Amino acid sequence: MALLLIEDNERLASLLKQGLERTGFKVDVIDTATDSVEALAAIKFEVVILDLGLPDEDGLSVLKTMRQRGDMTPVIVMTARGSLRERVEGLDSGADDYLVKPVALEELVARINALLRRPGNLLGSALRLGNVTLDTAGRQVFVDDKAQIFGAREVAILEHLLRRSGRVIPKKFLENSLYGLGEEISSNAVEVYVHRLRKRLAEIGATVQVQTVRGVGYMIAEAK
Amino acid sequence: MTVRFNSVIWRIAVLHIVAVAAASIAMPIILYYLLKTTVNDLQQQALRAQAEDISHYLKESGGRLQLRLPTGLAGNYAEDYGRNAYAILDAAGGTVFSSFASGEPILKADPHEAVPFYFHQRQGPADIIGASIPFVVNDRRVWIQVSEDLSHRDVLSDNVVSDFFPRVGWITAPILLVLLLIEIAIVRSGLKPVITASHLAARIGPATTDIRLPESKIPGEILPLVHAINAALDRLEQGFKAQREFTADAAHELRTPLAILRTNVDLIADQEVAKALRQDIDMMSRLVDQLLNFAELETLVIRASEIADLHAVCTEVASYMAPLAAKQGKGLAVPDCPTRVLIHGNAEVLGQAVRNLVENALVHTPSGTAVEIEVTAEPAIYVRDEGSGVSEAERELIFRRFWRRDRRRRGSSGLGLSIVSRIAEAHNATVSVSNRRSGGAEFVIRFDRSSVVLSNNVGAERPAGEPPELRARVPTG
Repeated sequence: MALLLIEDNERLASLLKQGLERTGFKVDVIDTATDSVEALAAIKFEVVILDLGLPDEDGLSVLKTMRQRGDMTPVIVMTARGSLRERVEGLDSGADDYLVKPVALEELVARINALLRRPGNLLGSALRLGNVTLDTAGRQVFVDDKAQIFGAREVAILEHLLRRSGRVIPKKFLENSLYGLGEEISSNAVEVYVHRLRKRLAEIGATVQVQTVRGVGYMIAEAK
Repeated sequence: MTVRFNSVIWRIAVLHIVAVAAASIAMPIILYYLLKTTVNDLQQQALRAQAEDISHYLKESGGRLQLRLPTGLAGNYAEDYGRNAYAILDAAGGTVFSSFASGEPILKADPHEAVPFYFHQRQGPADIIGASIPFVVNDRRVWIQVSEDLSHRDVLSDNVVSDFFPRVGWITAPILLVLLLIEIAIVRSGLKPVITASHLAARIGPATTDIRLPESKIPGEILPLVHAINAALDRLEQGFKAQREFTADAAHELRTPLAILRTNVDLIADQEVAKALRQDIDMMSRLVDQLLNFAELETLVIRASEIADLHAVCTEVASYMAPLAAKQGKGLAVPDCPTRVLIHGNAEVLGQAVRNLVENALVHTPSGTAVEIEVTAEPAIYVRDEGSGVSEAERELIFRRFWRRDRRRRGSSGLGLSIVSRIAEAHNATVSVSNRRSGGAEFVIRFDRSSVVLSNNVGAERPAGEPPELRARVPTG
């Protein structure tokens, strides 16, 4: 799993490299915009972590060059610039994520993993949270590696929730994904299937919980 | 009198009305007197001519004066006709001839002056003007008195004067008023470039300090002011630029060492020590974020084109905050809003305000309860918790910078609510807090009705079902 870290602060770069490599990534560090543009043209990276305050050019120019070339490698902007104007500008330039320093190593790893798991970038077909595993290819749910029986619609909802675990999925989004399964659904279908999913997860001793954010949507998280 | 007018046009109008009033009184009076004098002169000339006419027929023969008026002329002076009269007096004061049958003079006390003497008197209904004019006939001095009754039906000259007011006098007022309207139109067109410049000036804000007022069409009298404003804007722009640069530099200088520190701590093997250090770094980072945030808001300006959907803002905040709330065993809810509430405002900044309110509410609401974020069509955003509420005495204080109820409590910078207050202010909104019947606190950001955007002015809604990139839209500061 090769990452490119574009960061001009030597100390921070070496600490981040150390931390990320401990988690199992292979990390290359480059400290100028010009060198990064060259490296990106030659080597394929899985994720790019981009600092904006580079000595030669603005970091966003690297991102713009990449996108103009059609290089869709996920880019996480990690910067000290946190003003709203800069955030919006960063995301508009095609960044996949925007983090303001200081960033917890754990958080950075989670964001990298989230990008690697994203649809269109499916590397592994297994989604994992707590003791629950979903094999997205075989549509099979495992708890503590034991296969469990789940309805197709519960699996569909579980997949969406697991893909963005720890974040809220709007109810509307789940509703539309059920429509995608090609059948008539009632107005409270999402509530019904989430209820069944919850019940089933509890029955089989899963350590994850589906939470409701009333008026917004649902979220899956590890139970405490 | 110290009446002040803010508008040049009003000033002109009021002063002009005073002038019109004075002129429409003074002008007819002056005209009346001029007219009257002219008529008097004409009348006196006529009287002299009459007297001279009569004198032609006055002869002396045999030591006695003789008067033989032709019949036509005598008819004019007939007592029956009653318009004109004459009398001829000698130096001794005796009446030699008179048109009156009684033989009396017109003016009994004739002053016998060497120059013509004119008089004007009322005799019952008659209005008599007359003259006594000296003549010399064969070395004998005589005074010929002639008179005319102006009230006689055949006399026209006086009617001209007495008819002047009702017929002609009133015309001055409307003429002067029309002049006023023309003047207002002239001033308005003269001030047009100034008004255009004012509209332009109204758009100048901290984010648009590059606008300068046009100096080309501005009237010369106002040009120095416009010039001075532009110069002031130059200096202001420098100031804002310096502040923005400072904020950006400060952000870099403060966050880079924190980032190094944080990563260093994350690599410490001893998790017990790391945990305590991390908490301190988190607190420091938060304080830095909020200070920078505060500095950024000082130069915040809402552009007219910016539109925020309040319900969307609140659901995004709820999505972003839900994981944190869940970790603390607390809930979040956004009740449905029956209508879309759109206002002129910056969605990102408003999200930040709501987020700060929700963060505050999550601190105070007990575990097992929920924080509610409600949007109403007032338009307003309510954030309610189940905590112990805010005492009457603290309801103003909590929005002040660095104010904290409990200075010993960790993790609070005392800036969160003052940022909310600043954001509300930038949106022409107010933020206030009250206690709910249940005891919890209810914060409300209340917008002005003028901030509402009618939904038919806005493009289509975001297509439903689009994967939400929620975290990206909510500031993580």
